[in-house]
Amino acid sequence: MDRLPCGTKFATYRADHAWWQTRFTWIKMLFLAFVLFFIIPQFVGGYWITVFNMIGYTILAAMGVQLLIGYVGQITLGHAAPIGFGAFATALSMYLFEVPYLVALLIGAIAGGLLSLLFGLPCIKVKGFYIIMTTLAMQFITVDIILTQFIGPLAGRGRGGVISVEPEMFSIGPWVIYSPLDSYYWMLILVIGMMVFMANLLRTRVGRAWIAIRDNDIAAEALGVNIVRYKLLAFFIAGAMGGIAGGYWLTNLSIVSPEHFLFGWSLWLVGVLLIGGVGSMYGTIYGAMFMTLVLEGIKLALIPLAFTFPAIAGKFLYFKDFFFGLTIILFLIYEPNGLAYRWWRIKRYIWLWPFSY
Amino acid sequence: MIHFSEIFITGLLVGGIYAAIALGWVIIYKTSGVINLATGELTMIGAYICFALYATGVLPFFVALLAMLIIVAVLGALTEQLALRPLIGEPLLSVIMVTVGLSFFFKAVLTIIWGADTRVFSPTVFPLEPIMLGPIHISQVFLYSFLIAMALMAVLIAYFQRTRMGLAMQATADDEMAAMSMGVSANSVYRWAWILAFMTCGVAGALLANINGLNVSIGFLGLLVLPAVVIGGMNSIPGAVVGGLLIGVLENLGDAYISPFFPGGVKTTFPFIVMLIIMLWKPYGLWGWVKIERM
Repeated sequence: MDRLPCGTKFATYRADHAWWQTRFTWIKMLFLAFVLFFIIPQFVGGYWITVFNMIGYTILAAMGVQLLIGYVGQITLGHAAPIGFGAFATALSMYLFEVPYLVALLIGAIAGGLLSLLFGLPCIKVKGFYIIMTTLAMQFITVDIILTQFIGPLAGRGRGGVISVEPEMFSIGPWVIYSPLDSYYWMLILVIGMMVFMANLLRTRVGRAWIAIRDNDIAAEALGVNIVRYKLLAFFIAGAMGGIAGGYWLTNLSIVSPEHFLFGWSLWLVGVLLIGGVGSMYGTIYGAMFMTLVLEGIKLALIPLAFTFPAIAGKFLYFKDFFFGLTIILFLIYEPNGLAYRWWRIKRYIWLWPFSY
Repeated sequence: MIHFSEIFITGLLVGGIYAAIALGWVIIYKTSGVINLATGELTMIGAYICFALYATGVLPFFVALLAMLIIVAVLGALTEQLALRPLIGEPLLSVIMVTVGLSFFFKAVLTIIWGADTRVFSPTVFPLEPIMLGPIHISQVFLYSFLIAMALMAVLIAYFQRTRMGLAMQATADDEMAAMSMGVSANSVYRWAWILAFMTCGVAGALLANINGLNVSIGFLGLLVLPAVVIGGMNSIPGAVVGGLLIGVLENLGDAYISPFFPGGVKTTFPFIVMLIIMLWKPYGLWGWVKIERM
């Protein structure tokens, strides 16, 4: 981030601290927004819109994990729990109390945050591996018992904790989120909003305290950072982000089931983070895009093969796991800094060419 | 009371197998500091290879078990060499996630080869009729599995105390730098740690497969080892054994006495709940080393 093309200078601190520093970046980003809001909905077919929605959901879900792992250094392997809890809270408050979708989303966010906060409490006493264990416990207790056995049946319809919600319920003012395309626009709004929120949060006192805790918690405490308060705040905000991701997921399917939030999904999110780049906001986006698109590529490659080898057809899920495991291992060994770092290296090479020293 | 003792003893016998898996986990953690989340898949690998050898119908069970040990030893050495060796000295997250990657990879390979259906060892290895101990029924599968697991642990402890490599592993676990300066090769210690972990988990997996049948959920039973080691203390071998036994007992008691009130899922989550409570009270487990950190 700190390298710029030759000859770029700033006259004010304000310009120096800007997120997008050059006019070229602004033009690039406006072009990107134009592509996302106008070109893609115009020219991309129905199926691929759902793929984009999946990317967006992965970004939203991984953002809380990025906050916890990448910026506060608390490794979580159970982030699917607040996502699921938030999704169920949103669905139930819409279904039982008939609150508008946006209010329900807020309730879901608070519910996810409080759950994450509750299981984050042991971070007062322990850290490292033990935090992993409490998040694992959060995963199994929340999803396998609370959601499946107690919260799911509250809606009184469906079975096995599955709740279905009428698509008409997802209305923001006069706009009803009905088709995948509506869901796509809502995803863009949420992703941009959350990115802006997180980017600005990380530049404030809170964000700097978090980064200090991540780098060395004892030193941070010695310098006067209240580490317990900031860690718990991080757990709350990450859980709330998970809750919003869960609330978004509802508009995608109109149905929510504990099956969507299993342990594998938690691990998948951490894998997305590692592939994209730990401690990089853009890394979340790159990782989510990479994993989802590679998965689609594998699917496209396997479908023709399945005609000649029928045995493959039933085993697509395992091939997905196979490539996911292999990708994580290879990335950790050969590119531990993730795609964000590689992309930065490529950009720097182009900026500084031909004098790259 | 008879009901209670039956549940308790069955839990204890299954706990013996969990203790063996926990031992496999602690061997890796103590020597190389790697937190292995692929333990469940190590048990699956051993179980499936043993099953495949036994299902050929040529080999008796114990020969299949021994042949499996040789195969998984090679796999363990390969895994260490290819996936773990490049990550020595990397941060905690990388090392944990490489084991997560391994677990996805192994599970996928096993299910691609053998499918997700439950397989059963046939003909059954251990006789089906229970042994009567006074009024208490004990299933023979559980009893023999427990005895094999205990024999395995005795062999491992003898290995640590009698052989040169075992002593080198103990030295490395105690103080890696001092051990290296005395001429212990850290590389071969790490390799042997993974080989031994693959072997113990493999035997435990084959035994679990005899009890429950063989499918992907054996991998989840391997995850139960984590509460076991947290309760026992992460770097204590007696702690791992006691933790494993305790998890077996707790799991069965929870299933028998709490499930009627909270239907479903108690058997698998109860150990995690107990672990959370113990962590709040004694974060480093019953016998773990208390870490004091300084700047």
